[in-house]
Amino acid sequence: MAGDGDHRGRPYKRPKHSSKAPKYVEEEDFALDNDSDDDRRRGEGDAKKIDFTKLELKPDHVNRPLWACADGRIFLETFSPLYKQAYDFLIAIAEPVCRPESMHEYNLTPHSLYAAVSVGLETETIISVLNKLSKTKLPQEMIDFIHASTANYGKVKLVLKKNRYLVESPFPEVLKELLRDDVISRARISSEESHGGEAFTVSKSTGEIEGGHDELLDGAELAAAAEDKETHAFEIDPSQVENVKQRCLPNALNYPMLEEYDFRNDTYVLFVFGLLQVNPDLNMELKPQAQPRPYQEKSLSKMFGNGRARSGIIVLPCGAGKSLVGVSAAARIKKSCLCLATNAVSVDQWAFQFKLWSTIRDEQICRFTSDSKERFGGNAGVVVTTYNMVAFGGKRSEDSEKIIEEIRNREWGLLLMDEVHVVPAHMFRKVISITKSHCKLGLTATLVREDERITDLNFLIGPKLYEANWLDLVKCGFIANVQCAEVWCPMTKEFFAEYLKKENSKKKQALYVMNPNKFRACEFLIRFHEEQRGDKIIVFADNLFALTAYAMTLRKPMIYGATSHVERTKILHAFKHSTDVNTVFLSKVGDNSIDIPEANVIIQISSHAGSRRQEAQRLGRILRAKGRLQDRMAGGKEEYNAFFYSLVSTDTQEMYYSTKRQQFLIDQGYSFKVITSLPPPDTDQDQLHFSNLNEQLDLLNKVLNAGDDAVGLEQLEEDADDIALQKARRSAGSMSAFSGSSGMLYMEFNTGGKKGQGKSKPKDPSKRHALFRKRFN
Amino acid sequence: MVNAIKGLFISCDVPMAQFIVNMNASLPASQRFIVHILDGTHMFVQPHVAEMIRSKISEFREQNTYEKPA
Repeated sequence: MAGDGDHRGRPYKRPKHSSKAPKYVEEEDFALDNDSDDDRRRGEGDAKKIDFTKLELKPDHVNRPLWACADGRIFLETFSPLYKQAYDFLIAIAEPVCRPESMHEYNLTPHSLYAAVSVGLETETIISVLNKLSKTKLPQEMIDFIHASTANYGKVKLVLKKNRYLVESPFPEVLKELLRDDVISRARISSEESHGGEAFTVSKSTGEIEGGHDELLDGAELAAAAEDKETHAFEIDPSQVENVKQRCLPNALNYPMLEEYDFRNDTYVLFVFGLLQVNPDLNMELKPQAQPRPYQEKSLSKMFGNGRARSGIIVLPCGAGKSLVGVSAAARIKKSCLCLATNAVSVDQWAFQFKLWSTIRDEQICRFTSDSKERFGGNAGVVVTTYNMVAFGGKRSEDSEKIIEEIRNREWGLLLMDEVHVVPAHMFRKVISITKSHCKLGLTATLVREDERITDLNFLIGPKLYEANWLDLVKCGFIANVQCAEVWCPMTKEFFAEYLKKENSKKKQALYVMNPNKFRACEFLIRFHEEQRGDKIIVFADNLFALTAYAMTLRKPMIYGATSHVERTKILHAFKHSTDVNTVFLSKVGDNSIDIPEANVIIQISSHAGSRRQEAQRLGRILRAKGRLQDRMAGGKEEYNAFFYSLVSTDTQEMYYSTKRQQFLIDQGYSFKVITSLPPPDTDQDQLHFSNLNEQLDLLNKVLNAGDDAVGLEQLEEDADDIALQKARRSAGSMSAFSGSSGMLYMEFNTGGKKGQGKSKPKDPSKRHALFRKRFN
Repeated sequence: MVNAIKGLFISCDVPMAQFIVNMNASLPASQRFIVHILDGTHMFVQPHVAEMIRSKISEFREQNTYEKPA
């Protein structure tokens, strides 16, 4: 609340300063945050106003870029000459809350400070730099908070040695304290079970921990031990690692664990099947043409700050080159690397990226999916697979059983996790617990989840190492400059009447998605972008019924869950290379990872409730920058080169979801323009479908007659995120809809140049529908 | 013989008109308040329902509005 107070207070309550500070600053920041400010106030009931008149403004405050408030909130002026430095620093120590164009809001949290310490910043540095950048004297509360939350960092380390997890600390009393915790003492295993031969005898009593550590060391490690004699350690059960880490977080015992991997000195000797093995190096380098961009460099430097590799998450917008970051990290560590992706398509893409950017040899990289089970021969290599393959609990084929066994037994130098926001789901935790890795790197564009499990990532993987600012990347031309628009389509009378009826509550979604006004807006936009601008368009619809209806009426190709791999490839190929196919309809299979760099327009006709992540991922499909760099830079030829339309039926639930979905992008600094009259009144109405009442009523009948399961959301077996999202979505659904055998899903496309013909004599959709239903029921 | 009924003339957009019609239809016959539907956006109703309609509509709109949590 102090932040709010401060915000409000600045223009009004501190008149003596406002005369000194530049006027425009005040206005701008006030206007920008006004709305969210009001919301918060309402949310918390009576807002207490905090008086900031006592804060001392430094005499040269104009030159300093940020306002620090006692409650841990920090506001950064992006127009300050020190913005770049201040941003780099803030992003390391604080969580970004909202980053519009001129004023950013950050929040200091124990987690963010944990991340700061783990990238090597010290308590005193944090405070002194913050003090230097702040316009006011740093509030004592904030200093105390930083001290309190960083005091215990770095005291405990989690180390993987010889396939065993050890908790290490130079302070035996800290370990004792940890062991007093139930969860941790249960997770602890005494050494006899693991390595019988060694004289490693740590008894259950905490008093003898000191004895344990020396025996752990073997020849190769003695050198390191010489400088670091006072390290004490105990071993924990690999399956309990997650719980132990969680217990150590600031909200519990407050000894957050550092996970670092000293990969250069990793020469631990390993006994496997009686053979002496050394964790072998992987001979791979980045190719010279792989030139990481400044922000990619920066994120890597955070990861490899002190010559060791830290576990953590790097957040970059879609299309900003996450894969290069991943490949570079693997090339620096030069150990075996396990790369996890969400589906088979992105497995192929990752394998391709590895070959593209690094000098890795073909036989050193292998893909492990249900279709291709390649085994790698050498003793070090890169394995690319999906989360599902690793976490799968049922019976496997003999081949994959062998490979999975190998994955389980191996000690991985790097565990590279793509689209890490899907990881918290139950099955993905399993992945982390069964693969043993020294270092984990998570990559994602959207660190948000509707189920708030995102904080789990802090102990599953590690702190957030770096997060890029979307708008900065747009300004530098690294990602496309997107015009976001929300198109408001009023419901027609008949559709809205049905929408309101109680008996149609299950069909509400179908009704607002099939709203003829929306259909016409969509058709108009497709025509406009295809004909006037020559753009490539993706239309997203989560609702399969709508997807088929739209695609069939407009005679465009579509891809959904049941579309075969061959057909997908064919459609995507045509979309990429043919001038006749400029629009493709995608169900939510296209949300993540289907790589369509050509597309630059997205029209969203239906979506998965209020998922902010989905919205951002969809936007990501068009973020890859196109055209020449100089045109894209600020002040270049084209102001916007990509368009994101979200079609919303007004007065329906969709309005609620739509606003909710936009929050993430708004926090990244995007703004949504509202368009109310599409198609514009002066267009030739007869050209568009559903312009007369009879057609609209036909459509309405079709919607009402469709079965409840047919109008629901598409269900995907491989849809990882669903597992943790709403349960209701998993329960409903018919087998016929799943397998694609419900009649209306069958269709053939004639994509070559027959658009005009198609429009001149549109087939009567209701007739075809009836025929197909008869045939398949 | 001319009959005069005192009432309320409502002018609104198409969806809201449907909303009011639907609301009317969901009430028991004795409580229905629409005297006459004039066209898609206009209707004539009993004089005492203004507040009720207003509150129902604002309730409905509330449901469709997302507010960022604090």
